[in-house]
Amino acid sequence: MDENNLKRIPAEGGMSVVEINGMNFPLDRVYYTRDGAHIWLKQEDELIKIGMDAFLVEYAGYLTFLTVNESRVKVGESVGSFESAKFVSRIYSPTDGEIVAVNEEVIKNPRKINEDPYDSWIFAVKPDSSILDDESEYILDNEEKILKWISEEIKKVEEDE
Amino acid sequence: MKYYNLGETNWKETQLIYHAMALLDMEGLVLDSPGGRYVSLGLHQDPRDEIDFEYCKDNDIGIFRREIGGGTVLLDSRQIFFNLILKRDREGVPKIPENFFRKFLQPVTETMREIGIEAVYRPICDLVVGTKKISGNGGGEIGNCRVLAGGIMLDFDRETMARALKCGGKLKQMYIEQMKINLTTVREELGYIPPKEKIYSLLIEKFSKLLGHMAEGTMDAAVSEKMKELDQHYSSERWMYQRGVKQLGREIKVREGEYLFHHIFPGDRGDLGITFEISGDKVEKILIDNSCKHVTVNRNELENELIGLEYDCRKIIEIVTDMMNNKNI
Repeated sequence: MDENNLKRIPAEGGMSVVEINGMNFPLDRVYYTRDGAHIWLKQEDELIKIGMDAFLVEYAGYLTFLTVNESRVKVGESVGSFESAKFVSRIYSPTDGEIVAVNEEVIKNPRKINEDPYDSWIFAVKPDSSILDDESEYILDNEEKILKWISEEIKKVEEDE
Repeated sequence: MKYYNLGETNWKETQLIYHAMALLDMEGLVLDSPGGRYVSLGLHQDPRDEIDFEYCKDNDIGIFRREIGGGTVLLDSRQIFFNLILKRDREGVPKIPENFFRKFLQPVTETMREIGIEAVYRPICDLVVGTKKISGNGGGEIGNCRVLAGGIMLDFDRETMARALKCGGKLKQMYIEQMKINLTTVREELGYIPPKEKIYSLLIEKFSKLLGHMAEGTMDAAVSEKMKELDQHYSSERWMYQRGVKQLGREIKVREGEYLFHHIFPGDRGDLGITFEISGDKVEKILIDNSCKHVTVNRNELENELIGLEYDCRKIIEIVTDMMNNKNI
């Protein structure tokens, strides 16, 4: 991938965003990658809000359906599903804990996630323990790691084409 | 990897088998054809929105809600199914849906060409002859596997398909007409149907070319047990009527990019029913229900706003509702 396609842009309020091939990855949250996941996690008090990252949204195409079950979950367990391009993918929990809220707005209109993936949280989970500690090997929290990860992901997609 | 050439199989088992294999982490290619008629719904569809239960019951048409994507479709013995079950982490299994379909539909395209039909892949997951779809497909993750489930239409009963779906008289007729324009079959292309065994053999040969040598497999006790267990689950009302996302209006997909969308807009002077014909993912035609003559609506204005608009049912509803509110309709 051309190095020129990678850049870091300062955003309003001092928050930085990593931009790769037109896809943004704000650094006010972390990214979870276990088993090929492309989800962002954002800590808000004792809850973690979870959504899809720009890479997933870019390559999945328009989301037509989205479901999430409000329940106790275990790490790696399927908590819901989404459909795009007649393909159903699953959403896996990054933690043991309890899903305490689901964003009904994006369930009703999943295209909101396509329009703004970072403003469109999908569910909030109350983790039993710190995700950042338990799943640290799958968590990317800085520009360098994110750039490396997304560059590799783009390469994989290009090889598949 | 193994292939399982099952031939004509109990209709429900044609669905249960690939679900069971995926949940048992068993890779393989399953080829079969259902022994009876049924409608199959995608995971996120709700049969209460989709199906004419009475018609299906009276005509012995089964109903199955699968774990993977795509729309509602009538399936019967005049179709050949191919189900490919691959582990999610297997090398060479594309993660992006379009790449997944493109890659694994290639053997099906080659099979069609071998029998004399110039089918081509059209994104996202159709095989078409000219502009007409001849093979519909869906996919998804089941357990640790990624599954392609598709079929080749040897022949197709458009009338029964339209009657099995929940749609009103005019919409039903439009749907049949759209299917005539947008769907084709092996019989319509060739004037005859080649023996199913020939098509199964070709599919095995072409999939082997892509995935490496395939040995013939037979279903073992573990798969049968799993199928029995899943039958209980997938036949339960809890599964069948698990509320999916409520449809906005009534959308019927004919093929990729071609839809009929009907919605009833409540107004001060009564309801306004409109059918939107979508072609190439854009609004092409607007038809106001005959029963809505009491509602005065400026057709030109509607057409100016909507014809050519990229299809998004929410957007259409928003535009028409705004227009009706502004005009106090």
